[in-house]
Amino acid sequence: MNAAELKTQFTGYVFDEIELDIEPESLVGFATACGETQSRFTDPTDPDFQGVPNYLTRIHGSRAMPADFPVEMHRCFDAGKSVQFHAPVRPGDKIQGRSEIADIFEKSGRSGSMLFIVHRMNFYNQAGVHLATVDWRLVQRELD
Amino acid sequence: MSEPKDKRFEDVEFGEDLPEVDVDVSLPNVKVFAKAARMETGRFIDHEEARRNGLPGAIVPGIMSQGMLVALIHRWAPNAEILNVDTIFRAPLLVDSKPVASGVVTDIDEDARVIEIDLMLKNEKGETPVMGTAKIKLPG
Repeated sequence: MNAAELKTQFTGYVFDEIELDIEPESLVGFATACGETQSRFTDPTDPDFQGVPNYLTRIHGSRAMPADFPVEMHRCFDAGKSVQFHAPVRPGDKIQGRSEIADIFEKSGRSGSMLFIVHRMNFYNQAGVHLATVDWRLVQRELD
Repeated sequence: MSEPKDKRFEDVEFGEDLPEVDVDVSLPNVKVFAKAARMETGRFIDHEEARRNGLPGAIVPGIMSQGMLVALIHRWAPNAEILNVDTIFRAPLLVDSKPVASGVVTDIDEDARVIEIDLMLKNEKGETPVMGTAKIKLPG
């Protein structure tokens, strides 16, 4: 199956949903280890306490790819992450993450072809507020 | 070091450098991150296990590198509203290395009132294993 066929078959639908409770200790540890110094990210007593903008990147779904997806994840490497930040994540939030494949494409160069898979997760809080869109770019060096 | 001051949109100049930051990717700090992010796997927190899996040593989680670049922006402009951040992982960033985070303002959209920043993490060899861009808003 080539990249265009994979894209036709596996993009455009949500293949996984997860729910997760947000704990303040996790927000603080994530922020402080990254070197944040602003109290709105590091101090749970701050009235505007929230997660750093890329906090939700830590959350993965219950499966990385749709069922029957013919690419082996262990052969892929992580080429990057993009976060669109819409609203803050707060301690006590009950987060819902919905996974889909946003894009699949192929690039060719001197060293051969590479298959790019864009795994997208959209995150919402318990009120249905859209918090963030996280795109995870996975690359497999050669398409079988 | 003096506390960074909030910025206004009008304060920012095209080509302005963000103050560089020596980021902490020591093993103890990466373990703090890995615990908070539920990523306590050997390739991040155990040099020997990482080497057994073909890596040169434990590597910094990509999302921690991204978080350090976000923190760089907040140290420069504490009140920055980050709209998006996009990072490219070009090569592993090694735990216990001595990277430096830096950034430069590469675009100022006067109509949308959005500022674009190029970001990078350089290691002590002068290589850039992590690079990225961010778009932010500031009051004013």
